[in-house]
Amino acid sequence: MAGVMIERPAPTVGEALRRMRQQGETYQGVWSWLTTIDHKRIGLMYGATAMFFFLVGGIEALIIRLQLARPGLTLVDPDQYNRLFTMHGTTMIFLVVMPLSAAFFNLVIPLMIGARDVAFPRLNAFSYWTFLFGGMLMSASFFTGNPAGSFFEGHLGAPDGGWFGYAPLTLNQFSPGTGIDFWAFGLLILGVASMAGGFNFIVTIVNMRAPGMTLFRMPVFVWMTLVTSFLIIFAMPIITVALFQLLFDRLFGANFFNVGAGGTPLLWQHMFWLFGHPEVYILILPAMGIISEILPTFSRKPLFGYPFVVFSGIAIAFMSWGVWAHHMYTVGLGSAANAAFGVSTLLIGVPTGIKIFNWLATLWGGSISFKTPLLFALGFIAMFTIGGLTGVMHSMVPSDYQQQDTYFVVAHFHQVLIGGALFGLFAGVYYWFPKFSGKFMNEKLGQLHFWAMFIGFNVTFQPMMILGFLGMIRRTSTYEAGLGYGLWNMMSTAGAFLIAFSIAVFLINVVVSMRSKEDAGADPWDGRTLEWAIPSPPPVYNFAKIPQVTELDAHWAKKYVQNEAGELVPAMAGGANGDDNDSSGHDIHLPSPSIIPLIASAGLPLLASGFIYWDNPWMLPLIPVGAVITLVGVFAWALEPATE
Amino acid sequence: MKLGQVSAAKLATMAFIVATVVVTAGCGAFGGDQNTFNPAGDVADRQLDLFILVLIPAIIVLIGVAVAMVYILVRFRRREGDGIPKQVEGNNTLEIAWTIAPAVLLLAIAVPTVDAVIDLGGKAGEDALHVRVVAQQWNWRFDYLDPEYADEDGRPFRTVDLYIPVDREVGVELESLDVIHSFWIPKLAGKQDVMPGRANTLKFNATETGVFLGQCAEFCGIGHAIMRFKTTALEPAQFEACLEAIAVEGEDPDPPAACVP
Repeated sequence: MAGVMIERPAPTVGEALRRMRQQGETYQGVWSWLTTIDHKRIGLMYGATAMFFFLVGGIEALIIRLQLARPGLTLVDPDQYNRLFTMHGTTMIFLVVMPLSAAFFNLVIPLMIGARDVAFPRLNAFSYWTFLFGGMLMSASFFTGNPAGSFFEGHLGAPDGGWFGYAPLTLNQFSPGTGIDFWAFGLLILGVASMAGGFNFIVTIVNMRAPGMTLFRMPVFVWMTLVTSFLIIFAMPIITVALFQLLFDRLFGANFFNVGAGGTPLLWQHMFWLFGHPEVYILILPAMGIISEILPTFSRKPLFGYPFVVFSGIAIAFMSWGVWAHHMYTVGLGSAANAAFGVSTLLIGVPTGIKIFNWLATLWGGSISFKTPLLFALGFIAMFTIGGLTGVMHSMVPSDYQQQDTYFVVAHFHQVLIGGALFGLFAGVYYWFPKFSGKFMNEKLGQLHFWAMFIGFNVTFQPMMILGFLGMIRRTSTYEAGLGYGLWNMMSTAGAFLIAFSIAVFLINVVVSMRSKEDAGADPWDGRTLEWAIPSPPPVYNFAKIPQVTELDAHWAKKYVQNEAGELVPAMAGGANGDDNDSSGHDIHLPSPSIIPLIASAGLPLLASGFIYWDNPWMLPLIPVGAVITLVGVFAWALEPATE
Repeated sequence: MKLGQVSAAKLATMAFIVATVVVTAGCGAFGGDQNTFNPAGDVADRQLDLFILVLIPAIIVLIGVAVAMVYILVRFRRREGDGIPKQVEGNNTLEIAWTIAPAVLLLAIAVPTVDAVIDLGGKAGEDALHVRVVAQQWNWRFDYLDPEYADEDGRPFRTVDLYIPVDREVGVELESLDVIHSFWIPKLAGKQDVMPGRANTLKFNATETGVFLGQCAEFCGIGHAIMRFKTTALEPAQFEACLEAIAVEGEDPDPPAACVP
């Protein structure tokens, strides 16, 4: 197998580095990607796959917006509409924002903590492949047709229960066909991927930090990744149980949610939102971490109130477990429960506010450079502030009785998930692109992307607030004329196409930038954290010599020293880079590439397909086939030598 | 020069956001039979008051953040020959201030919230008109439970749209025959889900006569968009006459003349 390997006995470090560089050059081709366990390549694959699904989810959104542009349109029928919005929500949350965050965990975390890879590189590969197969399985449902007819007759097979899939609408009786089964199995498989990633990053961050990097010398993005990973490993099991209950109801006639047999639909709602609200923070905390890195870099100041930003992130994560029923104010839990969850939801505004104030204070007194990453970070602050404030409005329980399930809610969560999470993630793309490609993203196209997206976002989603006040319900496949909705919907649709244009600009920018000849260098932004201490793109082994950390902003501290007057001046030469030939330090040891993680993942969608079609004797054998493939993968994994 | 342009664009965007919020706040001015900013009942009125109560501080906070941000971006933009700024790491007094201030503000909002939750919860009084709402994919039926509307066998009187007397409390019991629906008359009261196997209730009134649109608000399948009903609020005497006329003429295709407010 081609790849990175070190023979024993270990060569000298200089020898190892030379060999690594040679192997780095030969380390290419499709096979090298299928077998890679390099966190950077896995991160790139996560990012590229998430971008693909982003386009899929975006096209779904554009169809939805076209359908709603005017009252009474029939571009899609109600059944198609329901399947499109269900897949739009599910795709954007589970196949776009979560994996984009995972892409940054993979790309950046080992570099930020001064490690050569994650703690479990093969588990990391397994996590990616499982995500890919889960996403493919769920998306394939579009083409399966439904009981009304085949795909070619315009009948989509995708799930039709909405992204939170409220029972009993998701039971066989009300949603025949296989859409919900694909959805539930898809989410289960994606859950496996998320759990594997969550554990991996917890262990990586806890165990693999460079010497001297205490917890409170970790960059905030590392902190937020740690917090998010804990949320993932506690939240995912809840949805897993709920999905199993749903599948037992659908496949085997269990009665967890069947009222007629004594089941209770309310159980699903509690389980779903007990997962679902922490999930919201799983989506937003990584973006908060990203902009907490970008604001200091582009204002050339440390993050203001670092411990407060860290602790408010932790506080948000804890509080996220105590607010789930604010999604359920109108289900009739009673005044006591509604009042309690209303107050807990109000209080989550406090740590959120602390973050916003600290970000602004970081900019205060800085030397602010308006590059694209900063623009997106500023867009995040502005839009997330609106998202947070509308969130506070929702915690006013009685007024939420009016807003629940209206377009005001749709506006609110897009404010948080696009204006917040996605703006933060795009900030990260522009920020770290030079690190992983060695090239800058084109600044002019970047600015165009930002402004088109920012304006498009506001034109799309602020009118939805008004629509909510005017009583327009969400998930409505059309609406009547005469209710005052037409103008605002048309505006919203126009805005959606402006966003689509901005994304096209982004994709063009990626291509243009990749072809650019300009070399970004190791530290293009005058960065503060360790990833900027190594070459761009980083070598396979990341750090030739594991850095010694003495303070927060470890890279910055090496670059600048105080002169006699107490002013910061650049340190003498050799501070930042050029450690490659230092012959002291550790031996470089990287595990071998392996195809086994892919094999272990590949069994899962087969297994799921067997269950989805288990009344079909030709499909039933997929169950043992899938199970055997995964089992063989797991055993081979255990037996495969880690290093040849 | 370039930096100046960015700031100007930023200012323009901020102005846009502020304008959007102002428009939003004033949207009671827009028409629409489902406009929650134009309530026609005490419950919807109270819910709007509560919303305005939080909307105003929210707009002030948003403007504050936006103005502060624009000011900071303009004042501290990077200029030629900038040195490295002072590396300020934080300020505990400020941190405590902006932890406590929002907490106090939010708790102040919590008081009227909890108050309203308790007031609006609970069952309708004895004097109220009692109606059972039966929801199923994708229509509504309304059973008038008070004995004076029952037929000789004791079966409650039933309509496909809702008719209520003005200025009298209405208590509805919500019953679903299949999936979850949500009972919502935007101009009269916030919604309450109709859960299979669960007896939810809602109380509200109409303070003016008229026809108010109702709508299922919880996604319930392909007919969700068309699962609508009308609520007609009539003077008490006309309300009685209306039900009697429906008993004779039915509601299809149009309700009897006696039911037109």
